[in-house]
Amino acid sequence: MHERLSFYVKRDSAIHDLNPLTKVSLTLALILIAFTSPWYWTPHLLALAAIIPLSLLGRVAPEFFRTALRLILPAAGFLFLMQAFFQPLGEIVIFKFYFLDVTRESLMFAFRSSMRVLVMVSAFTLMLLTTHPSELMSDLTRRGLPGQFAYVIISTLQILPQMQAKAQTIISAQRSRGLDTESSFFKRAGSVVPLVGPLVFGSLAEVEERAIAIEARGFTSKKAKTSLHEIPDTRLDQLLRWALTLLVILSIALKLWLS
Amino acid sequence: MAFVNLQNVTYKYPLTKTPVLQNINLQINEGEFVAVIGPNGAGKSTLCYALAGFVPHFFKGEISGSIEVAGMESGKSTLDEWVLNVGLAFQNPFNQISGAKYTVFEEIAFGLENTGVPREEIRPRVENAMKLTDISSLADRSPYSLSGGQQQRVALTSILVMQPRLLVLDEPTSQMDPIGTREVFSVIRKMAEGGMTVVMVEHKMEWVANFADRVIALKDGQILLEGKPSEVLTSDLLAENGFGLSRYTSTAREAKKRGLWKKETLPVTLDEAVDGFIP
Repeated sequence: MHERLSFYVKRDSAIHDLNPLTKVSLTLALILIAFTSPWYWTPHLLALAAIIPLSLLGRVAPEFFRTALRLILPAAGFLFLMQAFFQPLGEIVIFKFYFLDVTRESLMFAFRSSMRVLVMVSAFTLMLLTTHPSELMSDLTRRGLPGQFAYVIISTLQILPQMQAKAQTIISAQRSRGLDTESSFFKRAGSVVPLVGPLVFGSLAEVEERAIAIEARGFTSKKAKTSLHEIPDTRLDQLLRWALTLLVILSIALKLWLS
Repeated sequence: MAFVNLQNVTYKYPLTKTPVLQNINLQINEGEFVAVIGPNGAGKSTLCYALAGFVPHFFKGEISGSIEVAGMESGKSTLDEWVLNVGLAFQNPFNQISGAKYTVFEEIAFGLENTGVPREEIRPRVENAMKLTDISSLADRSPYSLSGGQQQRVALTSILVMQPRLLVLDEPTSQMDPIGTREVFSVIRKMAEGGMTVVMVEHKMEWVANFADRVIALKDGQILLEGKPSEVLTSDLLAENGFGLSRYTSTAREAKKRGLWKKETLPVTLDEAVDGFIP
C-alpha cells in the first residue's frame, strides 16, 4: 500500500498530458454547469456525453468504473431514495410507503440532484485519477499558491497512511500486553485511551523533527522556487480553459436570465 | 582564521535551568573531518543544532558567545541564509523525509527546488549525489517504502546534493549495517578530502578511529578532551567518565592490567588489536 498513496494512475493519454490547472478547470466547469444549467437534462447529458468519454480518453475507464460502482453509484442511489421520499413536492402520488409519498415531481427532483452529485464526484475522481498530486501542487505553487499550503496538503496525503500504520503498531503492541480491544463497546472505548497518548505525543515530537529537516533543506528560503519537472502549459491548455470559463459564464447567465 | 569558530558558546533551552552547552570553544579548519563523541545528554545533538543554525534560530532559548561558519556569524544571519552553507542530517531517517514527494529522486531534489537551483542543474546534481551514496537503484521508489538504513542514505543524499560547505551529521549511520556504515564513512571522507568540512556525532568508535581527523569528547556540555582519534579514544579520562569505548580498547585495557598487553598504546580498531595481546 506504500506505493499507492493517491488515486493517480500513471498512463499515457491526452488527459494525462493536460496541464493540471486545465484539469482543475475542467472539473470545476463540469460541476458548475451541472448545478447551474437551467435545462433539466444537463447533468444526465454531462454524465453520458462528458464523464464517460473523458474516462475513455484518459484511459482510466476500468479504474473509474470500479470507483463509480463501489462508491459513487451507491452514494447517488442513496441520495435519490432520500430525495424521492422526503421531498414535499407535487400532488400526483405515484407510490405510497406508509406515510411517505413519492410524487412525480419528487422523483424528477431526486433524479436530477443525484445526477448532479454523480457528475460532481465523477469529475473529481477523473481529475484525481489522471493528475499526479505533486504535479498539481507544484503547478499551483508556480501560479502563486503559497508553498506552505501546498506542503500541508501533499504531506497530509502521504503522512496519514503512515500514521495509520503507526496506530496499528501501537494497538498490536498494547494487545500483546493484554489490552482488550475486542469486547463490549465501552471496554473498547476505554482501551482507546492508552493508544492516544503515544500516537499524539509521538506525532507532535515528529512534527518538530520534520520541521527541522525541511528547514535544513531550504523550505523557507526566500529565493524563487524551481521545479524538477517541467509542467507543460500549451496553447491548447489555455484555449481549453478559456472555452470552459465561457461555458460556465454562459450557463450561469442563462440560469439568471430564465429565472 | 578557522572555518568554523565557536567562542565561549553557552546555551540554555527555553524553560530549562542548566545550560546544555557550557563555554564551548572550538575551531575547525576547512576540509577537516571532526567526530564528536560523548555519553547521552552530553550536548552532542545541541552542538549539531548550534552549528546548523537551529540553535538559537529554531529552538530559541538563551545563547551567549559567538558562532561563525565561513565568515558568517550565526547571530547576525537568518536560518534560511545559514542552511545554504551548512547542511544537517540527523538520526531518525523517517522524520527527515519531507512527505512532499512521491519518489526518492524527487525527495532528493526537494532542497534544490526550494533554494531555486535552475531545472537543468537539478537532474544531474541529483543523479551524481545518488551515485555517490550508491542509491541510484532506489530513484523511483517511494521514500516511505524503504528500510531504515536506505532512508538514512536518502536523508544524507538529500543534504549532500545541496553541496553545503559544512556538513553536520548526528549519528547518520545508526540504522545501517556494517557494510552500509563503511560506505557512508568512505563517502564522507571523500567529501572532506574534496574540501567539505564535516562534523559528525558517532558512537561507532572503530569507524571514528579509521576515518576522522580529530575527535572531540563532550561531557555535560563541555569539551572534556580533543585531539587525534588514536589518543583521545584510548585515553583513561574517557574510560573514567563513562564513555562507550571500542571493545578492543576496553579488552586491551583489562589485559594491560594483567600484563597481557605488550604494546605501548591501546588499540581502537581490530587491526591495531590483532598482534598486541600476549598469548
